[in-house]
Amino acid sequence: MGKVIVITSGKGGVGKTTSTANLGTALAMISKKVVIIDADVGLRNLDVVMGLESRVVYTSMDVIEKRCELEKALVKDRRVEDLFLLAASQRNRKDDIKPEQMLDICERLKEIYDFVLVDSPAGIEQGFHNAAAGAEEAIIITTPDVSAIRDADRIIGLLQNQDIEPINLILNRLSPTLVKKGNMISKNDVLDILNIDLLGIVPEDPGVIASTNRGVPLVHNDGSPGADAYMRIARRMIGQRVPIPEMRDDNFFSNILKWFSRNK
Amino acid sequence: MNFKNIFTRKAKTSNIATQRLKLILTQDRFDVSDDSMQKLQVELTEVLAKYFEFTMNSVKMSLKRDGNSYVLMADFPFKQLKKSS
Ligand SMILES: Nc1ncnc2c1ncn2[C@@H]1O[C@H](COP(=O)(O)OP(=O)(O)OP(=O)(O)O)[C@@H](O)[C@H]1O
Ligand SMILES: [Mg+2]
Repeated sequence: MGKVIVITSGKGGVGKTTSTANLGTALAMISKKVVIIDADVGLRNLDVVMGLESRVVYTSMDVIEKRCELEKALVKDRRVEDLFLLAASQRNRKDDIKPEQMLDICERLKEIYDFVLVDSPAGIEQGFHNAAAGAEEAIIITTPDVSAIRDADRIIGLLQNQDIEPINLILNRLSPTLVKKGNMISKNDVLDILNIDLLGIVPEDPGVIASTNRGVPLVHNDGSPGADAYMRIARRMIGQRVPIPEMRDDNFFSNILKWFSRNK
Repeated sequence: MNFKNIFTRKAKTSNIATQRLKLILTQDRFDVSDDSMQKLQVELTEVLAKYFEFTMNSVKMSLKRDGNSYVLMADFPFKQLKKSS
């Protein structure tokens, strides 16, 4: 029996879809059977970020309205074993789907797959409730700024009311240089304020946009800081004890060098 | 290297952000207005002022999440206990 995990944030544009694509791919790379579900009905994106848009034939709406079997609606990712996408309908609206229908899809998928990751839309309305309907666990994505953290707090409250547990945090787009300069809220302050467990930190990485544009999740090209972060998070999700590296200031060594050369 | 920060001790953006965030979340979580938090703070201070000597504007209040419930945290730094008359 697998796990259904909703990936959500409250605020838009903080990295839910990027995280779903990369964690789904990373989990499949470490031999798990994975389905990623796009729950952003009407504004679907996960297929594009995954580079699978040209192969989507059916959507969750077709499954719900019985135009197609669930198995047949899953798009297989040919780059890794056992990774599938269930796309969202682009023509429908978020309230065309009911929570019970999402729950049913998730229940059936977790019989077969180890991980069912649900990419939630932004907001706290119907779309979010549908995305969370089948989930027993949640991953909150936030960026280190006041408005994203405020929305994350709101979402955590809603999820706790639905007895979703554990709720873990991914801190996205952290820039060590900005934290050092005192321009960004630090990891410890975020954790102290939200009071949930940290699953991982994903640094600001220009590779993310390039990978979205090419339709190849970052974790396919190892070596980038973002890919490394997502691989670590995936390992933590399967219960391995992988430490969360303390972020080193990129400019630490270059600063020291500059200082020495100036004082020569 | 920047030694200036160490000496000037200007309020950092990150500290301002953290303080603002704590205040906003306290209001969100309580679902109360800034006014009622202020009122609570004044009333609590009045009660405590019977026993402690402290300055009103050093008081800080916030809410911390603890599983399904919240903990009200209040810092009342005081100078000394008042002698009971
Ligand atoms: N770690 C990162 N480094 C750099 N850019 C990032 C990072 N994470 C996300 N981004 C960029 O931020 C933008 C939003 O990301 P994404 O679409 O994953 O967010 P989302 O939360 O799914 O948004 P929405 O709420 O609209 O669904 C994208 O352009 C993405 O490339
Ligand atoms: Mg998205």
